[in-house]
Amino acid sequence: MGKNTHDNESKSKYREDRGYMSLKGWLGRKRALAMLGKRPITGSIQPISDRLDENIAMLQTIFTLTPDLIIRTFESNFAEGRVALVYLSGLVDKNSINNNMLRPLLNPTSNADTSIVDLLSVGAISNAYDMETVEAEILQGSSVLLIEGRTEACVVETHGWPQRAVEDPQMEASLKGAHQGFVETDIQNIALIRRYLPNRELKIKQLRVGERGKTKLSIMYMEDIASPDVLKEMEDRIKLLNIDAVINTGELAELIEDNPFSPFPQLVTTERPDSVASHLLQGRIAVVVDRSPSVLVGPATFASFFQTVDDYSTRWPVATFIRLLRYLAFLVATFLPAVYIALVSFNYEVIPIDLILSVGESRERVPFPPLLEAMLMELTLEMLREAGVRLPAPIGQTVGIVGGIVIGQAVVQAGVVSNIMVIVVAFTAIASFIIPNYDMASALRLLRFVMMGLAGMFGIVGIVIGLMTMMGHMISLESLGVPYGSPLAPTRYSDWKDLFVRVPLWNMKNRPVSARARQLKRQGENRPEGDGK
Amino acid sequence: MKKYAYNEITVMQYIFLIHGAQVGIGVLTLPRDLANIVGTDGWMSIILGWAVSVMVSLILTKAMSRYPEMTIIEILQLLLGKWLGKAVVFLIVLYCILASMTVFTYAVALINNWLLPQTPAYIVVLLFIIPAHQVIQSGVRVLGRYSELVFYFTLWMPLVLLTMWRNMHWLHLLPVLREGWAPIFQGVPSTILSFVGFELSFFLYPFLQKKQYAALGIVTANTLSMLVYLSVTLFCFGFYSPDEITQFTWPTLGLWKIVEFRFLERVDILFLASYMFILSTTGLPYMLFTVFTTSQLLGKQDHRKHLYIFLFLIIVVSFIYMPSFSDMQKLVKLWGKVGLVVAYAFPVVLAAAVMFIRKKPKEQEA
Repeated sequence: MGKNTHDNESKSKYREDRGYMSLKGWLGRKRALAMLGKRPITGSIQPISDRLDENIAMLQTIFTLTPDLIIRTFESNFAEGRVALVYLSGLVDKNSINNNMLRPLLNPTSNADTSIVDLLSVGAISNAYDMETVEAEILQGSSVLLIEGRTEACVVETHGWPQRAVEDPQMEASLKGAHQGFVETDIQNIALIRRYLPNRELKIKQLRVGERGKTKLSIMYMEDIASPDVLKEMEDRIKLLNIDAVINTGELAELIEDNPFSPFPQLVTTERPDSVASHLLQGRIAVVVDRSPSVLVGPATFASFFQTVDDYSTRWPVATFIRLLRYLAFLVATFLPAVYIALVSFNYEVIPIDLILSVGESRERVPFPPLLEAMLMELTLEMLREAGVRLPAPIGQTVGIVGGIVIGQAVVQAGVVSNIMVIVVAFTAIASFIIPNYDMASALRLLRFVMMGLAGMFGIVGIVIGLMTMMGHMISLESLGVPYGSPLAPTRYSDWKDLFVRVPLWNMKNRPVSARARQLKRQGENRPEGDGK
Repeated sequence: MKKYAYNEITVMQYIFLIHGAQVGIGVLTLPRDLANIVGTDGWMSIILGWAVSVMVSLILTKAMSRYPEMTIIEILQLLLGKWLGKAVVFLIVLYCILASMTVFTYAVALINNWLLPQTPAYIVVLLFIIPAHQVIQSGVRVLGRYSELVFYFTLWMPLVLLTMWRNMHWLHLLPVLREGWAPIFQGVPSTILSFVGFELSFFLYPFLQKKQYAALGIVTANTLSMLVYLSVTLFCFGFYSPDEITQFTWPTLGLWKIVEFRFLERVDILFLASYMFILSTTGLPYMLFTVFTTSQLLGKQDHRKHLYIFLFLIIVVSFIYMPSFSDMQKLVKLWGKVGLVVAYAFPVVLAAAVMFIRKKPKEQEA
């Protein structure tokens, strides 16, 4: 109880502090208010009895219908009397239990004076004094030793649940970057990141979120680089959460982002440790979510969704070219079908006469108006794409073939859509695959349909309105209180070194301003001088 | 103490906000007006007009720097007392409404004339309300970012115009000073009208982060606008013959009509579409400061409620009455006259007032 009221106080104080600067607006306030009234009270604290039988009986009432709960009682050779070892069988490492706990306890080699704890050959051991902690620890995969005559339980870390091996990242494959992606265990993910940053300034704040799921979140940041304000913002938002469980990083992102109604992703989720490390070095903050194979990074800007790790490991002219290609792809993926619709149905005077004739020829047999034609094909494309995502690889090929034949030939031959439309759809599809970030690419898929609708109704004026609104929305967005449109608007020319052109690394002497880093300088004079000198 | 600290704008945003507000309707018609009044020496009037507007801008900046944390709304109320001050502020609101509505109707008329002749005007109004609402609701800072972004978006225009170079007949510009200096001076009033927009500094100054660059910023903005006007006018003069140009309503648009590529005809349509962005950076600031001022007058910090009412009124009015073309021309003329007073006379008066009335600002309540 005491802890709860304290929390509530700090929360209401926090709400007042924000005042005007309430970055999350009404949603945050509403959430905080709901929290004040409804936070469930988890019951009074039950101390551990000094009688083992009572404790075991209590555990059995707590864990009813729990066949995987193992309670092993045995006489120990110590004066301390009977001992019970309690754990959940699937969540612990059996080797560790057998070799490091049961064996030394049952066949002690040292004399009887040593404490029971000293016999255990396990690193992390702590004490618990109440049943709630014992319960929580058992549920999270620790094993607990209850000892007759003692009112504290000995909690031994013996985690060992089913795990996947570290594999190549699926969504963000890289040519030259590392081939290790995050897995589902946060400790391993933290280790993967720490391998890049063996530095004591790498700090980790651990929080638990979720009344039932108790998801472990680890906020990682470089203490001497990351901005304390942004860190506080991130921390506060996470602390305000009142939810059953956070299953995935995407859920967390949706719960703490600045504008929940925006189509754009406002925080980066990545499955690459090297990319997290480079974000941390730029002063951003990462949140590792236990049980989720991706990591949340913020504050993000619009431009950061067009950058990849490979950009920095290929030569800079090539990286620049590819980056410009991505921005072009962004425009094509969002606007090409809309422009086609606008030009064919409204502003055909813009197209030269020869071209308009061939467009008209190919549209001759098509019964649909351009908007419907485009919608039809774009929806087919989206369906093919979704069909391919979830199918196992051998069947996935079938989708490709069927789609290829249907889209490529049959539809045109049957006179349902025009040739040009197929070309447009193909271009759009290719362009949307170039966007390196899945969340951003998905956002563009949605925007494309909005633009198509506008273009179908108002022609080129509709596109202008759409673009204007999109721009207006994009620049008014913020990510953890940092402007999303930076460094373009608000303009920060020093950050343009990594915007359209990726300048040589030795020229990027400062960290990006848009990450709000405390220390800006990140390298000294590194310009190679070559042989000429 | 800093009332507007949460919504500060950078120098770049200050420059582009003012530049965006200046370049708008004028770009389309200025070459014809100059050709009418001055003839082919009109481009010199632009430079003279620029000099005048820079001078007034500097006076304005000087006047505003006396009370660096106050907008014109507070300054007027401080200098003139509560009620008289509010009355004058109300006049400024009317001016802002006039300016924003002129730009708005202009945009709608252009679209109805060139792009969507069969769509009812109120539908076009409704369309423009969406981005206007999106940009204005978040205040000065977002508007500043918008102006920045739009400026970058328009950078392709001069490049495309340069492809017209071989169609230019620079002989049209000769002889220089054909009729002496007198007509050039007569052209100055219409050129200084094109620089109207820097008076936004009345509102923008307290939002500016680094006040020491205010003068530099406003001069840069004026100079940018001057370069735009100068290049457009020179191109128009080079392209049209001196008599031909006076026959066009929008000679600049006609200029774009000639640009043509193998793969793209009628570039003027694309120009017009992009021109909507340019017009938006002219109209939106006035719209913002209309609702900003009215909500300040009624003592409200949040301008959004007034914005919703204002936008709703625009839709209703456009549904009932849409100005005809000649009405619109009258509106533009009216804005010109009023703008002359507000942008050129008022700053000078204000500077004098600030010099002579030495009132200390009251301690602001937290």
